[in-house]
Amino acid sequence: MSIPHPGHKYALERIISEARSNKNLNNIHEFYLAGPSDIVGSGRVTLYSPLITDLKEMADLAHEYKIEIDVVINPSCFGGTHLTPHGYNTILWYLNQLNNIGIDSITVAEPYIIELLNDFSMKTVVSCISMVNSPQRARFFENMGADVITLDPDINRDFKMLNAIKKSVSCDLRLMVNEGCLYKCPFRYSHFNLFSHVTTAGMKPPIFGDYYFDKCISIRVRDPEQIIKSPWIRPEDIKKYEEITPFFKITGRANTVSWIVNCMNIYCSGNYDGNLLEILDCPSELRDLYFIDNKKLEGCIDYWRDCDKLCIDCNYCKMVTNSALKVIDNERRDNKCKEES
Amino acid sequence: MKEEIISARKNLEETLRKITGFSIFVPEAKFFSMVCGCVGFASDLRGLLLASVEVSNDNIKNLLEDIANSLSIKPDIIYARKLPGSEEIVGLTARELCSRCKKEFSGDKPRPDIFVIKKVEER
Repeated sequence: MSIPHPGHKYALERIISEARSNKNLNNIHEFYLAGPSDIVGSGRVTLYSPLITDLKEMADLAHEYKIEIDVVINPSCFGGTHLTPHGYNTILWYLNQLNNIGIDSITVAEPYIIELLNDFSMKTVVSCISMVNSPQRARFFENMGADVITLDPDINRDFKMLNAIKKSVSCDLRLMVNEGCLYKCPFRYSHFNLFSHVTTAGMKPPIFGDYYFDKCISIRVRDPEQIIKSPWIRPEDIKKYEEITPFFKITGRANTVSWIVNCMNIYCSGNYDGNLLEILDCPSELRDLYFIDNKKLEGCIDYWRDCDKLCIDCNYCKMVTNSALKVIDNERRDNKCKEES
Repeated sequence: MKEEIISARKNLEETLRKITGFSIFVPEAKFFSMVCGCVGFASDLRGLLLASVEVSNDNIKNLLEDIANSLSIKPDIIYARKLPGSEEIVGLTARELCSRCKKEFSGDKPRPDIFVIKKVEER
């Protein structure tokens, strides 16, 4: 399991400590985090910008527990700077620094950086932002030098495609389990591009708001079936994917440490009795609006794995929505607050 | 004040759901004071479209006026904040204006990102 890390040392210490007490350390293969934002941005919201020296301390700590550290350098857009002499030299210098301090792998979306990484001993992990969703695309990235490919979550419920990709490449594959983005999201490219710029020092545009996030949440408020259609993988269903890969990634490095710990514990245990929205990354804001009974989703994967995704002819997800999803009214919310306090 | 703001958020969410028929979500409601002298009630919203506000203008106006009054605010202006270029409403505000903002917020469309639900009265 690959575990998100918000970037400050306290988080890593807490996550390791919780994993130790819950005997989950053996399930953890790596921690991933963003590096210094004044060098390169990333494809997601980033809460903390560690220094290279901080990264070294954290790599050393993770290695004590035989866990790897991955640094994400996955903006979908560099604004062309990577192809300038200054940008090239900066990225090369940065990769050298990361290599020297013992970083194990780099997650990257830009093909040019993948090629640059071929000169380093660090593993190259292709980001989900590269949208690898076919054997053709997977082979392109493997031929460029990928050691691991994080597959586009849009194919998480397409086992025919997952199997075809598996047969086409020899590198490792990784599946994201809880991203929770809209299936076939129309904002995906634009949103990653926005993050790429707002997470890079010196490139930040003075935006008036995150249109894509507001719109994405609003769509699901008006049409909650879209939450069910999102290609998340329930903790109980991970075993169904073991024919494809043993590597899974929990997303959510912009969440609180407690949220990450909770997700890690649940996914490592492979069992969850509660609101699915508590463990999904992107629409976590909606956990106070909807309750999706995870236990009522038992068996859905057996339908979805062979589903042709021609929704016009099918009402399965609507039926699942009606049976598993409830709007949380204020009375129920008050009761939940009382129970938790 | 704590109980009033808790109840204001709930009331806004429940009534918007009844008015629009959608499970409108109000993740946050605030009682605010600004450096210029304005005070008011502001809420973040998810799931509300401009069309619903236009159709239910009077109901929403009455609702926000009641909520503002419950917080001892006498709102001069009530407006919905749009995400610019979009039909999504991301906030509703009832605001008692300072004298400068009273001038600046007069008229039907004082700012391109807001839809005025209750206009500032002309003097």
